[in-house]
Amino acid sequence: MSEKFSRRDFLKLAGVGAATTAVLTGCGPASRYVKREPYMQMPEYNYNGQSTYYATTCRECAAGCGLIVRTVQGRAIKTEGNVNNPLNLGKTCARGQATLHGLYNPDRVMDPLKRNSRGGESTEVMDWEAAIQVVADALKNNKPEEIAFLMGMAPDHLFDLATDFANATGINAPVRFGALGMFEARATLSKASENLFGEASLPFFDVGGAQVVFSFGANFLETWLSPVSYTRGFASLRESKTKQRGTFVQFESRMSQTGGKADEWIPLRPGSEALVALAIGRLASESRGGPMPRAFSSVDPLEAASKSGIKLETLEHLAEMFAGSNNALAIPGGAALGQSNGLAVAEAVLALNAISDNFGKPGGVYFSALAPNQAEYQGPASAKEMVELIQKMFDGKIKVLFVHGVNPLFELPTSLEFGGASKYVSQIISFATFPDETVREADYVFPDHHGLESWGYQRVTTGSAQPVLSGAQPVVSPYYNTRATADVLIAAAQLAGGIFAEALPFKDEVEFLQSKAASLMNAADGSISAADINTFMAYFQQHGGYWKLSDARGIPNAVDVLNRNFSAEEAQFEGEGEFFFVPFVSPTLAEAGANKPWLQELPDPTTTVMWNTWVEMNPETAHELGIENDDVVKIISEAGELEVPVYVYPAIRPDTIAMPFGQGHTAYGRYAEQRGVNPADLLGQHFNEAGDLAFAGMKVKIEKTGKKQPLSRLESMMGVYGIGLGEE
Amino acid sequence: MFKRLFDWLIQPLGLIAVGIAVLAVFSLAAYGINYTQQPPEQPIQFPHKTHAAFGVQCLYCHPGAAKGPSAGIPAQAKCWACHQQIAKTQTSVLLAPLKQAVESGTPIEWVPVAMVPDFVQFNHRAHVAAGQNCENCHGDMTKVTVAQNPQVFNMGWCLNCHVKSAGDDQEKLVKLSDCGTCHY
Amino acid sequence: MDIKISEVKLSEEQAGKWGLVIDQDICTGCQACVAACAMENNLSFVGEEDSGYGRSMHWIRIERFWEGEYPEVKMTPNQPMMCQQCGSAPCEPVCPVFATVHSEAEQLNLQVYNRCVGTRYCANNCPYQVRSFNWRDYERPEPLPNQLNPDVTVRRRGVMEKCTFCIQRIHQAQDQAKAEGREVVDGEFTTACAQACPASAIIFGRVDDPESLVSQLGRRSHGVKHLEELGTLPNVTYFKGG
Repeated sequence: MSEKFSRRDFLKLAGVGAATTAVLTGCGPASRYVKREPYMQMPEYNYNGQSTYYATTCRECAAGCGLIVRTVQGRAIKTEGNVNNPLNLGKTCARGQATLHGLYNPDRVMDPLKRNSRGGESTEVMDWEAAIQVVADALKNNKPEEIAFLMGMAPDHLFDLATDFANATGINAPVRFGALGMFEARATLSKASENLFGEASLPFFDVGGAQVVFSFGANFLETWLSPVSYTRGFASLRESKTKQRGTFVQFESRMSQTGGKADEWIPLRPGSEALVALAIGRLASESRGGPMPRAFSSVDPLEAASKSGIKLETLEHLAEMFAGSNNALAIPGGAALGQSNGLAVAEAVLALNAISDNFGKPGGVYFSALAPNQAEYQGPASAKEMVELIQKMFDGKIKVLFVHGVNPLFELPTSLEFGGASKYVSQIISFATFPDETVREADYVFPDHHGLESWGYQRVTTGSAQPVLSGAQPVVSPYYNTRATADVLIAAAQLAGGIFAEALPFKDEVEFLQSKAASLMNAADGSISAADINTFMAYFQQHGGYWKLSDARGIPNAVDVLNRNFSAEEAQFEGEGEFFFVPFVSPTLAEAGANKPWLQELPDPTTTVMWNTWVEMNPETAHELGIENDDVVKIISEAGELEVPVYVYPAIRPDTIAMPFGQGHTAYGRYAEQRGVNPADLLGQHFNEAGDLAFAGMKVKIEKTGKKQPLSRLESMMGVYGIGLGEE
Repeated sequence: MFKRLFDWLIQPLGLIAVGIAVLAVFSLAAYGINYTQQPPEQPIQFPHKTHAAFGVQCLYCHPGAAKGPSAGIPAQAKCWACHQQIAKTQTSVLLAPLKQAVESGTPIEWVPVAMVPDFVQFNHRAHVAAGQNCENCHGDMTKVTVAQNPQVFNMGWCLNCHVKSAGDDQEKLVKLSDCGTCHY
Repeated sequence: MDIKISEVKLSEEQAGKWGLVIDQDICTGCQACVAACAMENNLSFVGEEDSGYGRSMHWIRIERFWEGEYPEVKMTPNQPMMCQQCGSAPCEPVCPVFATVHSEAEQLNLQVYNRCVGTRYCANNCPYQVRSFNWRDYERPEPLPNQLNPDVTVRRRGVMEKCTFCIQRIHQAQDQAKAEGREVVDGEFTTACAQACPASAIIFGRVDDPESLVSQLGRRSHGVKHLEELGTLPNVTYFKGG
């Protein structure tokens, strides 16, 4: 060794050489070996490398489909439908599949947080003891009538817990709300059902058993009520071993995904749905012969034709089709009900069913089966009821607002001023799993587990002939420092003492669930039964819930329907402008899917657009206005304005424009934020007679902006050769 | 310039320098290759031969091998089930990490030795069911302390055995030499 | 040069093994199959910009076309399109490194990721346009990777990928059946897309078993195979319906 080349240098060199060799062979110990942490104690039912499957309930919407989740070594890998659950029979929708991107979302609320100022970024991490103290203080230090719960649409165990709690302590009864319910106009459906049949139930339409289906705006293959169940119904309408292929006609001003599947798509003038339904009723009654029912006698088909823009021959042909079948079904829904005359539309369309007298018969109209532990239909709050709550907030009558399972700042139209009203509420406590808009405006967020980490049950509101109570259990242990809201409330009530502690005399959420399920333990006609509660709960979790074995759908009492008078008045449209404005719920994202990256990457079924919002415009209209695809336009309503790129859509009326609801988040994680716009910003405070928002009851103006914003679409490989992505 | 360098190299001192350089490169390569084949550092110097000598079957600790794709590393509760009854566990220095892990409830970070790349979908069960013994791939564990790989798991090695075990059965050969059997 | 018609031969008839039957009349285009496929097969999401360039990683997509003009406009029946697992696949002969090979055992078109060097010849030659290429290493921020299916390789940049008919499920079912000493039963397992489909518009099974559900459905007179005239011998049968 020379002096210049020391031993240390040699070792260095040898090390470098070894490392180089290791890199070159690609298998050095460092790169090759990983560390594995085996279980300290192998969980029950688990095996190395083997999947374990757990039954639970999908929480992506309020339908309550049963899931089977495949887990491997404590990780949830894949969701499938629960074959045993009578609601979805082993099937799921896209959102049910992507629920794992919610569970493992990189932007969840990881700890209980205190926000230093509303709307601000700065937060402090709390521990759960302090969090429970905050809730207990909120309960103790305010009058019961100053405390309110705002919850999601799903009629779940937490809603039951809050209801029991409210009943016992005198705090405000929990309000359930969701944008889906608003766009479905659920209150209108149940109100029409009350007016016609004397019972405020949610109707169930047996699409599968029908031969002819007329849908007035009901988007039942997308997000409407219970999409998986209705899709199954649609499949058996089209494809059945026992009957010939059924026909499906859709009446709407903008072709929805559902409308795209129709054999005949009838683009009627918005607002004329009731008139058209009654005219078809009249023509169908004429075609059937016999005395003209009072319900249809006053309507003039010619007038209906001219006002709706449907040719009289088309109306006659449709009426004949409807009259010619003993299994004809008419469904009201969607944008047709979200108009000033929405209730009249619902009633007129429901009345059409009286022609084929399909009430309570296969292929007809039923009342949805009530869940096993339910006495009567409990609909979510209508927009009008939300306004009442908001007014109470404005008046300072609400001091503490607990928010769970809903994101009112995003889901409610801005014009309803939930944001403004919340400033008069001294304490807003959110239990959200994700950092949504409402969390940002809340003083505290005490995150609940994700649905796949939670215990619970959910009543199935509609979609199954059998009464179903879908059961939920954690399929993985909680990933973050979250806690079940039920547990937080129970602990806080105990801490607050007095009537609060008496109202929730439970050790934890599981004990509460057992107390609720106990009455079903030995009930007749149940899918499971057991002698003791622990066995029953084990079955309940294993099977993914409890259901009755026989059909329990109600039969509407329709004796008087045809003898009633129906209003054929057209809808009133608010605002100035030449275009009818039709917002619709994005079939893939719905109200809460925007933070799941794979849902963002699913192409919209009709436009194939991904990751953004667009406005649909008829090609003729676009041509007249000199607008092309991807041109950004400004849409101005009386309530607001927003800028959005145009998608030239061949299946929309020239006087109508349409926008999907689901994007336009200002919070809610990296995949949702600052992406697209929210059409709810354009909606004004207008309601139909049932109190639902007249979301499709507005006229708007369009202005060109001269800007371009390329939309990502699946349908063409645009952009590859520089087409459509602007000149660069 | 090259001429001058060449002239310098062919004189005796130059030749020695060349020899040293060649030797250095050769030994570096040998060292490097040897280095990559070393079994990794384990948190516990687990003596496979001791356990095997006690008659513990492979499948007792790695039962997954007979049931599914992964043989699995046993949970420490399984180690403890026996070891808590062995007096030496309390005193042995070598066993201290196990005792410490169980008592503090921290998982032991083992380093798996026999690994295939992640584009290979390997299933233990099929191999066990086909009559392969553990030692055919993993070597004789009665002779080693910390597990080490007797061979490099490359595709040629896998295929050799696949082809051999198919023998004259054409259908089996098709299945066992199909790319989709392991790569998907 | 004159080519006599009789000399132009379609590929030899080759019995497929696995096949799909897709009823377009009841497919509602709801994208449940697309999401299910993404979750089962570890597909990357590529984000807005790359998906605008047509780089999204859909192993299955739902095509819809327009017919006519307003108001007589019609949406054609939704057409789920995935790898047709051709018996004589145009993608296979063009791969210079044999990464796109035909599986003799399962009669599928395989994509061997570790062989693929990313020439993209196969995608260019696929008449169904069902192959997707990893243009980048797409990011999956923690903890999203927890969801990855351990039975499916996670692909990297520069690798082509496509529908495998959920070959991991095929192997799993075969392995299970073998362990129990029996044959795989028709309907015992299915692909992720077929399992999710709320309308049951996708049916999966053995096309070489005349008793299987796919074979029975496939014999219906209105079934068509796409671009069959190219001699690709696809294993997916479509019912146009409507």
